[in-house]
Parts: sequence; structure tokens; C-alpha cells
Amino acid sequence: MTALTVVVFLVAYLLIATEWTHKLLAALGGAAVLLAVGVTDSEHAFYSHETGIDWDVIFLLLGMMIIVGILRRTGVFEYVAIWAAKRAKGSPLRVMILLTLMTALASAFLDNVTTVLLIAPVTLLVCDRLGISPVPFLIAEVMASNIGGTATLIGDPPNIIIASRSGLTFNDFLIHLTPLVVLELIVFVLVLPRLFKGAFAVDEDRVADVLRLNEREAIQDTRLLIKCGAVLLLVFTGFVGHTVLHIEPAVVALLGAGLLVLISKVPTRHYMSSVEWQTLLFFAGLFIMVGALVRTGVIADLAQAVGEVTNGRPLLATMLILVVSAVLSGVVDNIPYVATMSPVVLELTKTVTDPAHGHALWWALAAGADFGGNATAIGASANVVVIGIALRAGHPISFWEFTRKGVVMTAITIAVAAPYLWLRYFVLS
Amino acid sequence: MVRLDTNAREAAELLAAQRLPGIIVVDNEQRPYSVLPASQVVRCLVPSYVQDDPSLARVIDESLADRVADKLAQVTVRQMLPDEPAELPVVNHDDTVLEVAAIMARLRCPLVAVVKDKDIVGAITAPRLLQLVIPH
Repeated sequence: MTALTVVVFLVAYLLIATEWTHKLLAALGGAAVLLAVGVTDSEHAFYSHETGIDWDVIFLLLGMMIIVGILRRTGVFEYVAIWAAKRAKGSPLRVMILLTLMTALASAFLDNVTTVLLIAPVTLLVCDRLGISPVPFLIAEVMASNIGGTATLIGDPPNIIIASRSGLTFNDFLIHLTPLVVLELIVFVLVLPRLFKGAFAVDEDRVADVLRLNEREAIQDTRLLIKCGAVLLLVFTGFVGHTVLHIEPAVVALLGAGLLVLISKVPTRHYMSSVEWQTLLFFAGLFIMVGALVRTGVIADLAQAVGEVTNGRPLLATMLILVVSAVLSGVVDNIPYVATMSPVVLELTKTVTDPAHGHALWWALAAGADFGGNATAIGASANVVVIGIALRAGHPISFWEFTRKGVVMTAITIAVAAPYLWLRYFVLS
Repeated sequence: MVRLDTNAREAAELLAAQRLPGIIVVDNEQRPYSVLPASQVVRCLVPSYVQDDPSLARVIDESLADRVADKLAQVTVRQMLPDEPAELPVVNHDDTVLEVAAIMARLRCPLVAVVKDKDIVGAITAPRLLQLVIPH
């Protein structure tokens, strides 16, 4: 049974990584096989937190998708982006810096794909007005979204999985990962002019075209914007106040979504169309397969093997997880990677005596998996989406054009993360 | 009629001048290749980023909007048509009004080419069809 479980999992993983078949089919197909042959059953697949579908993750994603689906209709994102571009007075470098910082900030609270779907059209508009290539801007923004999404529990799906498995709270992410992300963004901004050398020349006559854009016209519904703002404030209060209110983030997100649906009166088809059912089902299939690995003891064995390699040294384990996660996340989707590694890291934390070291293992997994998504054109879903948008707009971005920059940026972010983890959890703690 | 390699701006000017809902596109042998609906030409005027985010159309002022037609000069009719040619909206010269209407409805096309012995002898637009079927 163990061997069968591993084979099914590896085949599904291979299909997901290579995209020989749709990843939903691979995940659900793998789960179906494991259920059919009895490796797992409905009790363990549907009702167990350790070996089954992590409903906290599913419902947190569902709630946030509905909220974001309604928020998008207000035009606030476009308003802020155009306002930022005008504040930059048409200087391409300043435009890039402002838009990437804005993307990183938004990505901390919205999922990365939604963030780039919102920022890419505005970027194309501004670059069109300036008469410059949007390619460097789009690449920089998607990198910023992957970095910014690391900052909070809800910023990136791998973080949601890690939080659910580890019990870490929204505030834990704010306290431990947000400072790292701030550091990374400072470095990122400093590196931008070198990374995208030659992308900032502009005809001064075109600057006026940007300044004539009217960002106020982007706001489509001011009353809806106010309602969204109020609900988001309540939702984030719920996230931050988790330890006091004892309401799980998934419940907070669902309640927030329900409240916003009620008060916004947005038609059902509009906000339901923003729910990515395929993504949610993909998660379900993935959790069942990983749960089967937990049930058959494969995860425990893997954790033991990692423990033996690192010889009980948490600093070595932390660095190993950070680097290996970054490398693998650049090549395969970081969501199945984190879903698989989370129970392994959980087992490893049980062997560590110092809680700070245990936390370091989780932060290494989050940072490595999230930053690693920047390494290649296929490292993160947001990368693939941006490349598709660029192609449609007549500005194709090749795999190597992206990856050349991505590998450099990933190396830099890991080079910043490593000493941060070492200093914070092994020297100063 | 226009050819596949006709400049898109030229085709757009023809559609605008004669207020046509579409225009027949022929290949180098003057055989019907496709119908280019006016709506498709209008779609080509809209930048991809506005198609992705329609709210951006509101932030662009008129002086910029006036220049959207400039890009038509850089493309041909062929580039405005889908890569996979759709079924041709063609009727025979002796087809009935109902047969013409059925083709228009099935292919959702505002204009059909009329052929006789494989030669194009004319075209019927949707407004003209309505004139025929709806008595004054």
C-alpha cells in the first residue's frame, strides 16, 4: 500500500509539474485512485485535519475570493495605480518603483494572480502612453507580487497551508515574515535599475500623455468602495484579533464575504464568477493525496531522513529547507510542494527543543517556497498569467528572458533571507 | 469587398463611409474567404489592456482616445480575422429569404456573400434582409 501511494503521488505530481494533463485532473485522479484502492477512506479524507482535506484552507480561500471579486468592481486598484504613475511624473524608473511597491503591498492581502490581473492592464496603459516596452515592468511587478505575498498569512496560498498545519497565526506572520519582506523589497528596489538596465529611456513629450490620465474616472462605485473598505477592516481585525476572539481565519473570511455580499447587493453571478472552483478542487485532491502519504507513514519516514541528514542541527535544517524549497519552487508549483512538505516540517519541529528553532523551520519553508516562485517563468501561477497577458498585448516574454532575471532575483532574496533567519532565530533569540 | 492583404484602415474607412455591418473578404483569386464584421474592426480599436479591464477606458481622455484608430494602419485585414477561418457565410443567388436568414442566424453574421457559379455577385446585409421580410 505504501509503495502504491508513493507511485500514485509521484505520477500525479509529475503530471502537475509537466502539465501533460490538467492539474485538476491529476490531483482528483490521484485522490480517486487512493480512495478506490482503500489507502484512505472517506473518514480520513473528508473529516481528518491530519490526513484529509484541510477545510480551513479551502474556506479561507473561498471567502477571500468572494471579497476580492466584489472589491475589484470598485476600480480602487486602477485608481491607485494611475495615481502612482502620475506622482512619478512619467519617469519610467519611478513608475516602476511605485507600481512594484504597490503590487507588493496589494499582494500581501490579495492572492498573487488577482494582483497581477489588476496591475498588468494599468501597466500596459501607462507604458503605451510613455511609448516604452512594458516587459521589464511586468516582470518586475510579478516578482514583487511573489515577494509581497510572503508577508502575511493570506498573501500566498502556501502560507495559508503552512498556517493551517503549524497553528501559526496571522499575527505570527506579521511579526516574523513581514520584516523580512520589507527588507527584501528595499533590496529589490535598489536592484531594479541594474536588473532592468536600459528600460528607462523615454521621450519627454510622451510624459504629458500619462499626466492627462484621469484616475478619478477609474472609481466606478464609491458607495461600494466604502462598504468594501468597512468589511475589509472588520476582516483584518478578525485576523489580527484571532488570539482574543478565537475565531479561525477561515470563519472570519467567510463571515466577511457573507456580510459584503449582503450589503453590496452585487449580483450573485458577478462575485461567484470570481471563485476559482478548479483551484479549490485542486487543493482538495492534493490534500487527500498528501494525507494518504501521512497515513502510510511516508511523511514520517521522510522527516526522519531529513533529520538524519541534518544530524539534529536545526540551523542546518532551516537553511536546507530554505534553499531546497527555493530551488524546487522555481521548477514546480509551490502549492503541491508546500502541501507535501508541511507535514514533513511538522514532524521535524517535534524533534526540536527550542520553539524559536521550530518556527524558523516554518519560516524557511514559507520564504523558500514563496521567493522560489520568482526563479523561472513557470515557478508561480502569477508568472504564467503575466506572460499570457503580455503575449496578448503584443509584447511576448520568452521563458529565458524571464528566467534570466528570475534566477538572479531569487538568489538575491534567498541571500537576504538566510542571514535574517540565522540572526533572528539562532543568534538573537 | 476587400482582399486579405488590404490595409485595415482602408477597410475601416469603407465600412464607415457606407455604414456597412460587415465586409466580404476575398483571397488573391477573388474567391470569398470570410466576412469581416464591423464589430470585429471595432474590437481591434480597443487596446488589449482595456479589453482586460474595461474601467481603463474611462481614464483615457478624448485626445488620446482619438488616436486609437492609428494602429489600424499597421495591420492588414488578415490580421484582424481569426487564425482558424470560420465557416463562410455564403448563399446561392436563388436561395430564399428564409435560407439567407438561417445562415445569418446560425453563423451570427451581419452580412452574407451571394454567389453564382462560384463568382460573387453581391451581398445581403441584415438590415436589407429585414427590409424584405418586414412589410412597411
